[in-house]
Amino acid sequence: MEAATALGFALPIGLGLAALGSGLGLGRAISAAMEAMGRQPEAADKIQVAMIIGAAFIEALTIYAFVSVFVLSAKI
Amino acid sequence: MGMRPGKDVRVTLLAILIAVCSPGGLAHAATPGEHAGHAGQAQRADQLEHVEPGGHVDQAGHADQPEHVDQTGHAEHPPELPNLIHLLYKALGGEAADTAPPAWIVLCYRFQDVFYALLVALIIIVIVRWGTRRMEQIPGPVQNVVEFFIEGFHSFILGILGPGGERYVPFLGTLFLYIWFMNLFGLVPLMKSPTAGLNTTAALAISVFLYVQWTGMRHLGPIRYVKHLAGDPQDVVGWCMVPLMLPLHVISELAKPVSLALRLFGNILGEDVLIGVFAGLGIAVLAFVHSPVGVPLHLPFILLALLMSTVQALVFTLLSAIYIMQMLPHDEVGRETDAVAAAAVDGARTAGTDLTLSGSHTSLGGR
Repeated sequence: MEAATALGFALPIGLGLAALGSGLGLGRAISAAMEAMGRQPEAADKIQVAMIIGAAFIEALTIYAFVSVFVLSAKI
Repeated sequence: MGMRPGKDVRVTLLAILIAVCSPGGLAHAATPGEHAGHAGQAQRADQLEHVEPGGHVDQAGHADQPEHVDQTGHAEHPPELPNLIHLLYKALGGEAADTAPPAWIVLCYRFQDVFYALLVALIIIVIVRWGTRRMEQIPGPVQNVVEFFIEGFHSFILGILGPGGERYVPFLGTLFLYIWFMNLFGLVPLMKSPTAGLNTTAALAISVFLYVQWTGMRHLGPIRYVKHLAGDPQDVVGWCMVPLMLPLHVISELAKPVSLALRLFGNILGEDVLIGVFAGLGIAVLAFVHSPVGVPLHLPFILLALLMSTVQALVFTLLSAIYIMQMLPHDEVGRETDAVAAAAVDGARTAGTDLTLSGSHTSLGGR
């Protein structure tokens, strides 16, 4: 298989896999945060800030994949 | 707000200066295609032969002119909505093979992120000057907005850093405002988000990195700073772990700006490309009837971009605040926040319900 063809297959699949992982992680994180907010609405602000930070870290993994897809897509 | 204006202005100017100066050089070394695109017509004609027709079409509008796919520099760029400088560059013959555009537009085109970043900074300066020009007891509309924003941000940062965090509010507030405006600038017609280029975000992240390290040095002193990087060894085991912990901490400090820059860049580029692709699609679906206007298929993504721009600016600022907080002496900050939390619990007077703001959320697990 040529390198360009291999990249053409691998880039979308890789990005999809990264997004899948991030989606699962974000789902867990946000469901836990929602549960915590529901149990303790007084602390909602603090939980929300922590949740946004965590979500940013999880989401960053997909963004790394996305950036590398853009870098490599020039080679197709 | 008891802030000393002299210091604020200096820190803010430093941040903007770094942000504005460092783009450009880095990036254009990293994209050799762009150099080739401007180098000369002979080279361009040379490259023309190597490009398959219809290989990479930038916008839907180009599709009917396959001979114009000579933008080898552009082929690396993802599709985005055209901005003012790009259109001017094109109108002045920047992309045709037989004309040489004037030097000033080539300069503007190469440094367009810097241009738009400066424009955003100018807009923010004008708005804030306008709001604070004649300060009144009963504020006018602009002063009201500026005061509302500053007060909200002040309490937000103090909520994270605890009391004593006032001195970091100007830097972090500037960071938030600047990034937020830059993110939103891509949604203004004929404008471009400077943060959709890696140079701008790298410059911001580097300035945050330098500020955080400097804060650490100033607060801890050189010896305690190195000790902090070595993981604050207390006993024999701690000292034995130093050869492992020191490189680990140094690498993690260096990884912070990289992740900050890539996160912002990737998110903003992603949303701009999404809007660009769907706008192109909206034009393409009506292309067969030669309609002068397209279907606004990108409209929902503009709403998404509004949300994402705000969230990403907030995340960048929040993470910067947390990096600063990690550099401050742990014991002092911890004691102060505990005292504040205890006072909050006392003040809340919630008899019967266990309001545990002081950090023991684990007590909920047993319910």
